[in-house]
Amino acid sequence: MGAIFFATVGCKDNSKITIYRVPKETKPQMADQVSATGDAGAIVRWKAPSGWQEQPATGFRKGSFIVRDPDGRTADISVVSFPESAGGLLANVNRWRAQLKLAPVNEIDQSITPLSVDGHQIFFVEIVSDKPVLDGGMKSRVLGGILGTGGETWFFKMSGEDKLVASQRDAFRQFLETLQIGRGVATTGTSTNAPTPPSIEAPEKAPLRYALPVGWQEQPLSSMRVGSFKVSGQNGKEADVSVVSLPGVAGGDLANVNRWRDQLRLSPIDANALVQSAEHIKANGHDFLVVDLVSESPISEQRDKVRILAAILNENDHSWFVKMTGEDQLVTSQKTAFVGFLRSLAIP
Amino acid sequence: MFTNTLAQSRAWDFFKQPFRVLSSLRLTVVCLGLAMLLIFFGTLAQVHLGIHAVQARYFQSLFVFWSPPGAGWKIPVLPGGYLLGTVLLINLIAAHAARFQFSRKKAGIILLHFGVILLLIGQLLTGLMAQESQLRLDEGETRAYSEAPRETELAVIDVTNPDYDQVVAIPERFLTRASTIQQPTLPFTLKIRRFLPNSQLVMRGQDSSASSSEATNGVGVNIAVSEIPRTVKDDERDLVSVFVEVESMEGALGTWLLANAISDPQSFTCSGRTFELVVRQRRFYKQFALTLLNFTHDRYAGTDIPKNFSSRVRLVDLERNENRDVLISMNDPLRYRGYTFYQSGFDNDDKTSILQVVKNPAMIIPYVACALVALGLVTQFSMHLFGFIRKRNA
Repeated sequence: MGAIFFATVGCKDNSKITIYRVPKETKPQMADQVSATGDAGAIVRWKAPSGWQEQPATGFRKGSFIVRDPDGRTADISVVSFPESAGGLLANVNRWRAQLKLAPVNEIDQSITPLSVDGHQIFFVEIVSDKPVLDGGMKSRVLGGILGTGGETWFFKMSGEDKLVASQRDAFRQFLETLQIGRGVATTGTSTNAPTPPSIEAPEKAPLRYALPVGWQEQPLSSMRVGSFKVSGQNGKEADVSVVSLPGVAGGDLANVNRWRDQLRLSPIDANALVQSAEHIKANGHDFLVVDLVSESPISEQRDKVRILAAILNENDHSWFVKMTGEDQLVTSQKTAFVGFLRSLAIP
Repeated sequence: MFTNTLAQSRAWDFFKQPFRVLSSLRLTVVCLGLAMLLIFFGTLAQVHLGIHAVQARYFQSLFVFWSPPGAGWKIPVLPGGYLLGTVLLINLIAAHAARFQFSRKKAGIILLHFGVILLLIGQLLTGLMAQESQLRLDEGETRAYSEAPRETELAVIDVTNPDYDQVVAIPERFLTRASTIQQPTLPFTLKIRRFLPNSQLVMRGQDSSASSSEATNGVGVNIAVSEIPRTVKDDERDLVSVFVEVESMEGALGTWLLANAISDPQSFTCSGRTFELVVRQRRFYKQFALTLLNFTHDRYAGTDIPKNFSSRVRLVDLERNENRDVLISMNDPLRYRGYTFYQSGFDNDDKTSILQVVKNPAMIIPYVACALVALGLVTQFSMHLFGFIRKRNA
């Protein structure tokens, strides 16, 4: 009997290191990505940042997380969706303000920032109470994301103690940026908070899909441009955004960057300096090389210095150039929108 | 001849006393009493430990240990489930051996007891050898492995070969203390620096109080880790974190933070080969793959009460040339190659099916045991019945 016992104890295979061969895994979507379907059928996928503990989704919730700080305080994160516009952006922001015992606002203020994620516009909201509203005399803060998918509205909300929630701001925004919104699914509603991604077709070229950032206006395309936009700033200032696709490497990254530097009357740089000064932005499986160049003084009739924000992508024997040119201050203020635009680009 | 008999007699004297104790009814009563205590204290302990820890500590163990808070030592306070079951089994067998006298009249009783012995052995073997895991499949997804929801492993994956990955899977118990793991197929050793059975991860930039990271490579450099108490809730899972240093012949390659919460593998190269490190739920690979074709969830009309849920899966086994569709529903599992796939749950708004995967080599024993018990009862009662009829007719 003892022999049976010890023989079987030996069989329990969690005591051994095992070696095996497996076929390569294909990863159709991000690991640990979670998705949910809204009432009108849109599928929204997200990936929670490390450190957020997933909770069972109950009631209205499509997703639920908590985050703890070392003192044991917790903040709650919820994902819910409601049909149609769910009362609209302002009504929902005011609902959250009421929870923090703040007076309602009549218009979209600085607490609401539009973001572009996966071809959709999400309104990022940050509100903090002006007096303690939580037990223990602590202020409360709400971070929110409001997404209209056409037919329904999704609410992503983190609420809890002021400092803890503030410390999670970047994580929450990263969370919003992981959202993937299912396209081509049945949508029944007509009212929507967010425009569906506009799609334009360049002559004899594959269509370019993107989410149009707030304040950008589409312009007529040309034989070179597969995307063309105008950004208007204060005092009538304007910046120009172009998307150009060329076969091959089109002279190479360095030659193009030096061409732009020349336009700004800056001296050329070598490959090492380019590596050091350029950033890489990874989006939708593409690796953009991004350069941010500013002239040392105003050029021609411009009153301000001129800035060029440009991204280069070499892929499938094609080069893509996304370039914003305009007065320094305006282009600087559009940097987030530019990066959001890059992230939304679906290169054909 | 005489010396042989004397030796046998002495040997019997030597074993007589312990054998008498093992076959005594008192031992049965003591064991059953202790089993009641074990169940009582085990039930109370679930409040603080949770059902899974209680199962392991109280019922799937030889002894239940207790240690004063903060002390580094522990003492056994109760026999565990395995010990009690084994002693009861020996007691039953010994009692039969001591009082065994075969007669046709007792054939039914003997069969019945043999059935009970087999039932106990079957339970012991099931406890020790059965493997339970889960297979989560999204619609359209194919998997050739199931996962243990509450067990973690460190997988070292050699991804150099373009055709396959070679995996060295290291169970959690090797990670729980500072140790060095050497494996002949790996050109490096793994040093376990720190293990956190349940942890919370925060981006370093958001936690100004975080001390410098123990991780020197990978995403862990930017992550602050803190240990939190293990969860006792049935619907929550511990998030294991472990700091692992990789050391090759040329020297240390760095320290990585690996955690359940970091699902993407972290890679490095050593001796011209590329390796990935990841802490994940323990995987059990199969010789076949299942694809979820679709999941259906019927509710009673006008309510949210589930009526039936079922998964239509495609079973592909290249070795056995199998390629067929199977419907797995609540009371109709798929049995294949020693595994049983039960429809266990669903998730993700009915787009994900959760199958419970059970592999139990001793699965047949309880059926045989119950058949023997039934046969024994029928035999015994029939003999009484026929005896009674015969007496009446006489």
